[in-house]
Amino acid sequence: MPLPKRVVEPVHVARNTVSQAGSYGATGSIPNELEAVTNGTLANTVRQLSSLSKQAEDMFGELVREAHSLTVRVNSLQIRLDRLSVNTKQLDSTGEEVSLQDIHMRKAFKSAVVFDQQVLSRDTMPAPMLEMYSQCDKPPPLYKLNPYREDGKDGMKFYTDPDYFFNLWRLEMLKDTEKMMHDRGKKPHRPKTEGSGGRHKKRVRQPHSTRERQRQLATQHGEYLMPQDNSHYRAPHQPYEYMEENTMMLGLSMNDQHRPSRPNSIELRRSYGPEQPLNQQIGNNTVDGRIYSPPPMSIIDSNNYAAPISSNNIIYDESNMYNHNTQQNNYQYTGSMGEVLSPSGTPSRGGRIRPSQPPPAPPSNNNSNNSTPTVSSASTPTRGRSLSSNRETLPPPPPPPVENNLPFTEPLPPPPPPVSISPPIPSANIPPPPPLPPMPDPPALLTNGDVKSPSKQKSPPNHIIQSKPLVLPADCNNIRQLNGVINDVNTTVTNISSGTVSALKKTPGPGHVAHYDPRSDLLKAIRDGVELRKVEKIKQKEGERSNALHDVASILARRVAVEISDSDSASGSEYDSDGWAEDDSNLK
Amino acid sequence: MGGPKEGVQKQIQQDWANREYIEVITGSIKKITDFLNSFDMSCRSRLAILNEKLTTLERRIEYLEARVTKGETLS
Repeated sequence: MPLPKRVVEPVHVARNTVSQAGSYGATGSIPNELEAVTNGTLANTVRQLSSLSKQAEDMFGELVREAHSLTVRVNSLQIRLDRLSVNTKQLDSTGEEVSLQDIHMRKAFKSAVVFDQQVLSRDTMPAPMLEMYSQCDKPPPLYKLNPYREDGKDGMKFYTDPDYFFNLWRLEMLKDTEKMMHDRGKKPHRPKTEGSGGRHKKRVRQPHSTRERQRQLATQHGEYLMPQDNSHYRAPHQPYEYMEENTMMLGLSMNDQHRPSRPNSIELRRSYGPEQPLNQQIGNNTVDGRIYSPPPMSIIDSNNYAAPISSNNIIYDESNMYNHNTQQNNYQYTGSMGEVLSPSGTPSRGGRIRPSQPPPAPPSNNNSNNSTPTVSSASTPTRGRSLSSNRETLPPPPPPPVENNLPFTEPLPPPPPPVSISPPIPSANIPPPPPLPPMPDPPALLTNGDVKSPSKQKSPPNHIIQSKPLVLPADCNNIRQLNGVINDVNTTVTNISSGTVSALKKTPGPGHVAHYDPRSDLLKAIRDGVELRKVEKIKQKEGERSNALHDVASILARRVAVEISDSDSASGSEYDSDGWAEDDSNLK
Repeated sequence: MGGPKEGVQKQIQQDWANREYIEVITGSIKKITDFLNSFDMSCRSRLAILNEKLTTLERRIEYLEARVTKGETLS
């Protein structure tokens, strides 16, 4: 249906003037009807003229705008021409030396000309036509029936489909290109299928390779991996799943940190090192002991990868960790998760408390792995959950630990500052540790005793554990805040840790999970990262395809490319020569 | 009776005169619109031709510039 661009109104100049005159006549003020009709017609004519002038003004405006743009282009072209003429005059064919290297190194010419696309789209519709278009009746709201269609088609397209002709053209063009491709020998298609198959295989294989790779890396660095560790990590299904979720959440951010995260378990211990000189006394190696003491913290906060990474601990880890790892790692890994957990529990209670806790840990390593793990696990899970829960619901829990451990209350305040910056925390924690180092002090306090005891005394902690979990959550929260990663994890953690205290007490497994987290998280993160990357690639490809389908330029470009390739296969040299010939003509 | 007849005739004649006058006016408006349409069409066609030539010119200039300038090397 043709739609006039401009309409001069009113169209019917002499119509209805009589009836209007009649209405006036009702009032009895019209002496001559014929004259009234004439006057009405004249008035409408004047309206027509005004409408016409408006349309003319609009039309001239368009022309002027177009002409102006052309003049701008002409002017810029003139400038370029002048510059070009100067350059050409300066050219010296005799003096100019062109080395073969320069020719090969010269950048490929890339045209900056942008060709217009979608010339007849809604955006390019002229204003008067838009005005007319807006006056048209809207199509019936058939899209409201879409939910009730079983075939998933857009109901609106049965009434009107603006993309119909473009799709028609697109399908035709794509068919042509497909034919060309097939005629050529179907080479492009086969490689694609093969590539996709290979990719699928890679997906399955990569995770395994990454695991072994990580193991090898760890072993190379002197880290001793016990088979038990894997079993432990996997054993707590609930915690494991929980961790998985966290890892999933962290996956994106963690991708880059996969390797760092691994060190985290070590780092955690390392982190203690700076904080807790006391540990050295307790630990076999002074440096190692210090370093190791921190690790529990990191281990506890599987989610807190960021903190260990960000803090200086990492640096320490490399130097100290490996050495200690060989010695102490055996304790932690082999001995029991509990040992590690216990240290973590101590740190959670208060960064300062950690020093006191680490010392006990070494002895506990040999003493009892099983009991400690439970306690530690409880504490660690609480941290993880408490972190999330504490942020929202846990605020109350932190106080209880304070009550239990008056000395620890002081340490607690420092953790908040660390939240802002992870590195500062260690330093803050360090000062407190010195006082704490004395093992007796922590035992005096219920919380301290719990923390330290877990390593040495597994059973006693249980009662305390409940109180500890509360404290630990607070610590964990701080740590997570420090990490910054916490934020991401928090959402998941919060959901999981609806019942923070109760859940913590009930689930020792979570504690184990927390310990396992670092590595499991790494593996998961690596896996997730790989998967995510692939997904992105797939999306990109899909996007490219969709774009190709909906982009005139891309369709044409592909078609041209296919044609060119065909011509190349047939006679590439001829094509090239033709191209140069055109260029030469252009130059002339 | 002649008076009213003459009056009516006079009114009709006047009406015809007015209609003729209006016809001239509307005819002129039609001419104006026709002229505007033809002017618009011719202007647009000329502008389109100019635009086409400008585009080809720009492409040639771009090619010449790329040809004349030594260009940046990949190194």
